[in-house]
Amino acid sequence: MNLNRRMFFKVAGAAGAVALSPAKTASAGADDGALTSGAGAAEGALNAGRRGVLVDATKCIGCRACEAACSEINALPSPAMLDDPAVFATPRTMDTRTYTVVNRAVTASGTAPARFVKRQCMHCLEPACASACLARALDKTPTGPVVYHKSRCLGCRYCMVACPFNVPQYEYESPLPYVRKCTFCADRQATGLDPACTSVCPTGALTFGNREELLDMARERVYAKDSAYVRHIYGEHQVGGTSWMYITDVPFEKLGLPTELGTYAYSSLTQASLAAVPFVLTLWPPLLMGIYSFSKRRNDIEAHGPDRQEEAHHE
Amino acid sequence: MIPHDILTLYSAKMLEYGIAVLFLLLFVPFWTYVQGPSRVPALATARVRQPAAAAAEWFLIPVDRAFHRGHAWLKASTDGLVTVGMDDFAARLVGPLSRVSLPAVGTAVGQGEMAWRLVASDGRVVDMLSPVDGTVVELNAALASAPEAAETDPYEQGWLMKVRPSRLRANRMSLLSGQAARRWMDETIAGLRGHFAPGLGALAQDGGVPLSGMARAIDPDHWDRLAARFLLTGGEDAHA
Amino acid sequence: MNSPTAQTLPERGWASEKIFLGMPFWEYLRSLATPGNFVAGLIMAIGVPVIAYRFIFGLGAVTNLSQTNPWGIWIGFDMLCGVALAAGGYSLATAVYVFGLKEYHPVVRPAVLTGFLGYLFAVLGLAADLGRPWNLPVPIFYSFGGPSVMFEIAWCVVLYLTVLGMEFLPPVFEWLGWPKARMWALRMTIGLTVFGVMLSTLHQSSLGGLFLMAPTKLHPLWYSPFIPAYFFISSIAAGLSMVIVESALSHRAFQNRVDHDVNIDKLALGLARGASIVLFAYFFIKVQGVVDGGRWSLLNTGYGYWFLVEVLGFILLPSMLFAYGARNHHVTLVRWTAAWSVLGVIVNRLNVSVIAMNWNVPDRYVPSWMEVMVSITLVTIGISTFRWIVNRMPVLKELPEYHESQAN
Repeated sequence: MNLNRRMFFKVAGAAGAVALSPAKTASAGADDGALTSGAGAAEGALNAGRRGVLVDATKCIGCRACEAACSEINALPSPAMLDDPAVFATPRTMDTRTYTVVNRAVTASGTAPARFVKRQCMHCLEPACASACLARALDKTPTGPVVYHKSRCLGCRYCMVACPFNVPQYEYESPLPYVRKCTFCADRQATGLDPACTSVCPTGALTFGNREELLDMARERVYAKDSAYVRHIYGEHQVGGTSWMYITDVPFEKLGLPTELGTYAYSSLTQASLAAVPFVLTLWPPLLMGIYSFSKRRNDIEAHGPDRQEEAHHE
Repeated sequence: MIPHDILTLYSAKMLEYGIAVLFLLLFVPFWTYVQGPSRVPALATARVRQPAAAAAEWFLIPVDRAFHRGHAWLKASTDGLVTVGMDDFAARLVGPLSRVSLPAVGTAVGQGEMAWRLVASDGRVVDMLSPVDGTVVELNAALASAPEAAETDPYEQGWLMKVRPSRLRANRMSLLSGQAARRWMDETIAGLRGHFAPGLGALAQDGGVPLSGMARAIDPDHWDRLAARFLLTGGEDAHA
Repeated sequence: MNSPTAQTLPERGWASEKIFLGMPFWEYLRSLATPGNFVAGLIMAIGVPVIAYRFIFGLGAVTNLSQTNPWGIWIGFDMLCGVALAAGGYSLATAVYVFGLKEYHPVVRPAVLTGFLGYLFAVLGLAADLGRPWNLPVPIFYSFGGPSVMFEIAWCVVLYLTVLGMEFLPPVFEWLGWPKARMWALRMTIGLTVFGVMLSTLHQSSLGGLFLMAPTKLHPLWYSPFIPAYFFISSIAAGLSMVIVESALSHRAFQNRVDHDVNIDKLALGLARGASIVLFAYFFIKVQGVVDGGRWSLLNTGYGYWFLVEVLGFILLPSMLFAYGARNHHVTLVRWTAAWSVLGVIVNRLNVSVIAMNWNVPDRYVPSWMEVMVSITLVTIGISTFRWIVNRMPVLKELPEYHESQAN
């Protein structure tokens, strides 16, 4: 499978060309069917369906074909300074018209090559944004993409507060604003296509496929004897796991990826507080009515004498 | 979030428990301090019941008197005599009086026995029972010229007579005061409410003061019998 | 059974009596020309166009919000502080109806009214802040983000506004002169109170719970798994303090509408006693949060000093001042402490939402003058509505024919 993909990408497009080939990939999701090693049946079924992307920062040459493909597919303006390497002088961020950016993490010096990193929505396995969204406008699909149903969105921007990667971008300039972010080409994936960016990457820096298989691939590279990679697969466990995972031979801070994130899913942060809701709904009425009865009885005794059981006349 | 190194966790937990204990130790003195040395006894609104002097909403029940179930009261004075009168309920029940027919000075009266007669403005009469055993020593002379005092100010100006009691302590066992008197008044009102016509009922809910001459308003034709029932002088042993 | 409005001329119509304070229309209009109304009018003359501008040209044209700072003072002040300071409604209702502390009845109605208006204007502030406020019905009727704390808040606020509105019906029916409707409304009071306390517990704490989702963005001294408890406890103190402040101001401002038999000073002292205990406990749980998170060392930083200012100056200090004032019957001190305590809750809410949020990011948020103007405008409209209602409905004083038989 890996070899087929490598061959395909080498043939498929060169820097600057927007070659959006509709070829099916071998790992088109659920028909793989194979259980991953060690996982339970349910977990295996989940994993079998999960797609992901492995970003190998050692292979990225900064050609930005991915940016160009993304903007074409999503009808966004062309990326700035597409043919001009001076664009890397200052790091760019995603914005409402740029779903993905490639930044230079390390400048080439001497024999050390430059390193580039592509940033976009991480499509977390348990996304903070989706669990934060009160209207389920941001919703996690079982295969991977976190999609945005714009008709449901109220514009509360809680997803922006919640996302540890600061991915969602808001159209403040519009009186009818939406949230904008990478869609993982969910509609393309639904028809069996690859995401636009991964399908045009000429160097194999972006590999799209089954997440478990990508993890195997990543482990092979990272934990191989004498490997130059940093011994960590970013996104394997960060915030409960992300669909987009990164491996690199330079420290992850250099790539601009937040390194202080724990392995707990963000949705778990609020679950304890939300779990209290049914308890409050159940326990408060008897507690409060108990206090009420007690205080009413005390007031009645004060007003009418200790043997008087009748209610005050104006109840 | 800053994860705990397990070694610092020990000291952190001890510190937490320590702070909680400190809080509990400080809480009791703090609470006591905040509550203050003496409670200002006033209540927030002026319209508050003074403890025993207020009605069960409608009728005055002064603290310093003892009441008989026939709605007469007595009040002991320092000279060994007791002052006797009728209570607010009786006064309002019967309403405007043309005169009060009191026993002569020197007459013996018995607790629970008929003692005086109220003659209402329309001529009907209602008797009342004495609250005490003893001898009548003085009558309220003002009532001869102004019988309305008995109705309008039954506890002060409208006192009826002074009696030298023969068995005051024993008599007191049958009398009500304070809380018990208020409870008894509640029961009386409950009994009275049952008689209210719808129009009067609305008045009651508004908290307005009941009419003078309630019995007449309830049952204009036989109000004296109704009043006598409440004042415990109705029935076969009633006067002619 | 007489009409309560003995002071109005009987030949005036319903509108004149009920709406125009018993005056003919033109006379009423002339009576509105007061300095206070002039200031309010000026504020609204600037603020309302700004609000319109925001809706025509979008949030970016009016606010300083950015992709890193999605929430500003419309959330931090209008929403969070509005809801916290409106907590007097449920605190007083609980004290009077559940704990049976009938002596506080004179202030329960203004507290419920303040609560209702506070929540209403928090929601309006939210409507100004939402990018697509017309979608407010979506999480209520169509699409439910169950795991979201925001979802729970939305439902709670909608339900609670209804509860508060219904709790305020008795004075409305008294104003309209509908006794049967009023009796029906009164019977619901204890049920509404219990329901309202439940909802308040939930959403006061959940407003804090929102920030649980930002562990890397909120400064560690403020970030704690106990934020929901902090918000809930501080809301009780905020509510009690607001009632002290609001009753003091109302009794000054509405001399002719006030029941002069009510000893408002005594009530203020009682409320201060409660507030001092709550603040005392709140101080200790804040300390516990710092210890539990292992954050002592952070106290020796710039943000640490500011945290100490909040905790020592705005929590411990008012607790002690309330205690001293209540014990020594020092009503003026109690009132100033209440104002300070209100400020303290505002400081805390702004800290969590705007000041200590994104503390380590170069792009910091500062509100624009237009955002500030909109907030001031909403507060002004709120106060004006409060005045309008108090001047017409039996809020500060009960109508005489309802007094004796009042169940609430």
